[in-house]
Amino acid sequence: MSSKNSILSALKQSALTAHPMPVIDIEVTPQPLVDTFAASLATVAGELHQQGGLAALQAKVDELMAQGLQVLSLVEGVNGNRQVPNTAHELADIDYAILAGELGVAENGAIWVSQTQHRVTPFICENLILALPEKALVANMHQAVNQVSLAQGELGVFVAGPSKTADIEQALVVGAHGACSLQVYLY
Amino acid sequence: MTELYSASGSKVHSHKADIFCRDETRVDWHSKALWLLREKRDRAATSIPEWEQLRQLGSELKLHTLTHLTDYLQQFEQQCQANGIVVHWAKDGQEHNQIVLNILAKHQVKRLVKSKSMLTEECHMNPFLEQHGIEVVDTDLGERIIQLAKMPPSHIVVPAIHMKKQEVGELFHQQLGTKKGESDPLYLTRAARAHLREKFLTAEAAMTGVNMAIADKGAVVVCTNEGNADMGANLPKLQLHSMGIDKVVPNMDAAGVLLRTLARNATGQPVTTYSSFYRGPQQGGEMHVIIVDNGRTEMMKDKILAESLKCIRCGGCLNTCPVYRRSGGYSYNYTIPGPIGIAVGAQHDDTNSIPWACTLCGSCTYVCPTKVPLDKIIAHHRRLKAEAKTLPYGKSGYMPLVGRFMANEAMMNTSMSAARLALRVLPGSLLKPFSGAWGKYRELPVAPESSFATWYAKNRSR
Amino acid sequence: MKIALFIPCLVNQMMPEVAIATLQVLEKLGHEVVFPQGQTCCGQPMTNSGCFTEAKKTTLKLLNAFKGVECDAIVCPAASCLVAAKENFHEFDSSQEAQDVINKLYELTEFLHDIAPIEHFARPINKKISLQMSCHGIRMLNLATPTEEMGKQRFNKVEAVLGKIAGLEIVYPERIDECCGFGGTFAVDEGAVSAKMGKDKAQAHAATGAQYAVGFDPSCLLHLDGMIRRQLLAIETRHIAQIINDAL
Repeated sequence: MSSKNSILSALKQSALTAHPMPVIDIEVTPQPLVDTFAASLATVAGELHQQGGLAALQAKVDELMAQGLQVLSLVEGVNGNRQVPNTAHELADIDYAILAGELGVAENGAIWVSQTQHRVTPFICENLILALPEKALVANMHQAVNQVSLAQGELGVFVAGPSKTADIEQALVVGAHGACSLQVYLY
Repeated sequence: MTELYSASGSKVHSHKADIFCRDETRVDWHSKALWLLREKRDRAATSIPEWEQLRQLGSELKLHTLTHLTDYLQQFEQQCQANGIVVHWAKDGQEHNQIVLNILAKHQVKRLVKSKSMLTEECHMNPFLEQHGIEVVDTDLGERIIQLAKMPPSHIVVPAIHMKKQEVGELFHQQLGTKKGESDPLYLTRAARAHLREKFLTAEAAMTGVNMAIADKGAVVVCTNEGNADMGANLPKLQLHSMGIDKVVPNMDAAGVLLRTLARNATGQPVTTYSSFYRGPQQGGEMHVIIVDNGRTEMMKDKILAESLKCIRCGGCLNTCPVYRRSGGYSYNYTIPGPIGIAVGAQHDDTNSIPWACTLCGSCTYVCPTKVPLDKIIAHHRRLKAEAKTLPYGKSGYMPLVGRFMANEAMMNTSMSAARLALRVLPGSLLKPFSGAWGKYRELPVAPESSFATWYAKNRSR
Repeated sequence: MKIALFIPCLVNQMMPEVAIATLQVLEKLGHEVVFPQGQTCCGQPMTNSGCFTEAKKTTLKLLNAFKGVECDAIVCPAASCLVAAKENFHEFDSSQEAQDVINKLYELTEFLHDIAPIEHFARPINKKISLQMSCHGIRMLNLATPTEEMGKQRFNKVEAVLGKIAGLEIVYPERIDECCGFGGTFAVDEGAVSAKMGKDKAQAHAATGAQYAVGFDPSCLLHLDGMIRRQLLAIETRHIAQIINDAL
């Protein structure tokens, strides 16, 4: 018998009796979406820019490039100074990656980012900037998981702030293996 | 500390705990550090008005999945295959390790970067792969610390919680060449970032654990704060994910519920920094998922033990456990310590002592985000040990005597009045040596002159 | 009401003052109280060690002491023993007679809160007390909402009963409902951890500045008492029955 079949046949001897799938009907706590999102993002160490939209983002990118930093933008209408390389490993020296956030979750500050080419982009960059449409904010994860796209062959990720760790004596250190900072431009 | 995780010496929980308790300052430090996580959890949970409703949903959706596991596992496999993911099945740890080795060997992998997976700890995968010439690099900071220190994890979420920053500083100085005497967590974390970045960029394969496997999408969800799982899985062309059969959930809605409680209950964060949904390999890459039983179907044959498979490995039960906090992760003779470790590991514990590393206080059961009845499961393990005649601490000898004594009113009255007399008239210094652990740590009770029954007969008899 | 006293062996043998206070409280409240003979251990030391065979005889003897006793309620001043009695009676005897006994079982606080609340306390008690929220009482008997549980509808029956006593100041130790480490045979099997838990709990009570650590579970109080005296802490233990008795 294959291992698969032996596992499935062992499951037939389970002592548990069938339990129905519960109805997930959590009421949404009425809260102002932008304010709640801003507060949540702050708790996960992200920084929110509410004013100026994509123009403000381009101004920020110009400033970064003027400092000689390497900026890769995958957001339409925002231009950096690096092109998408052939291999993912060549992204290792990117200082800032500008990516599109598809959906923001007010209750926890998480932003859905999906990536097909060079999936490592949101993680390998030293700093991450996400551009997020204000109308793409939802209240909670129940709404979020129903609205995100997760196409075949895709990596979709909820990003909540910069990478962090508290593995040494529980001292919070921002900047572990992924991006060391996260800025969000709402537009 | 080395005494605690050495292979020599007694593996009995109370013996290890006794050693841990000798350094009271350290016990206080350890207990406080973990209680801080419990307090953060309480704050995070309070902020969600529907918290208890989420726990109930979490419990029921996991129970539903477990009771329809054959269907969901098959659906998961079919959907994975449609997404170009290769699915493997392993009956036990040995088969799991062999499958991993075969995949790695086929691709001539010399270095594997790995993010946290309690399953691979359970299967003892690292030493197996290392024996076959593969360098395994744990990339979670806590895991890397203990890997460099050649220790197992002492906690399932914060694996190096037992180490002081000075100890980590010294370890990094010796192994990574950081400055001597430097113990600032920011400095040490940055050093680890630089050290591991080189490993990420040169690894030929990556492996992660799985927090949830979504049956109707054929996707696996991996949650980390550090981004190490994603740095690993997305650089090399080969990604592997190991999961227990209990990790599958029906759909995205179910994942939504568990993602709301997982991080809040673990560390008090509203969500982990990264919750990554992998629905297929990257362009030109390969993605493998290994589905592992390793004793889980056996547990499902017992109605009470089966409920421990609802666990989502948040570690909340460890943080609240008053015994775990005061005995440390290495006192449990199983890979996973604390209440959930007893629940899923007691059957593997050859000292038979871990089910007794518990006061049955029930705090863990109330903390659990999927309502695993941990105290009931632990009590059940005691019963199974008794039935198997494998009781620890001399219980099989004295328990029948206690049972007979307690059931015999006359015998109890006679000997207890003798005991009360002894407590009243003999000096404590004479009695304490005979009172064992009680008198070693506590004063003996102040004995009354008579029992209530005697008093009642004198004062209320009609 | 007609009440039968259930006095667990530990209370009977080692803490008769708790049983006496319980009896006097119930009498002062106008109840008719009987003390059925032949009470033995509830079996908890054995069943908590997994030894069900060894627990059967004593459990059934205890159950028999209450079978056929004419009363409206069976009241016990020890939460943990009461929980064990309920579970073990059920385990070893599935008869209706056993169920009738189980249905009448109440822990003292539970009885004074849910069944026969105290209308009036005659005497003030000008003391500060630190409540010992023992595990089985709160997590298995629902005497109070445990701190792990969230939500708005919180309750605390112990505070609700004692809170009506004039002059009494009620405080709580840090980590309010963390276990004191007694745990029956745990105190001996896991001596070091049990002692550390007890020490931490005793110190937390003492740190409140209260005169008494007051609880509803005698076994936890016995453990705390041994720890308090070993640590030479400026606090004593009392059972809620003793406090209530003084106020009636």
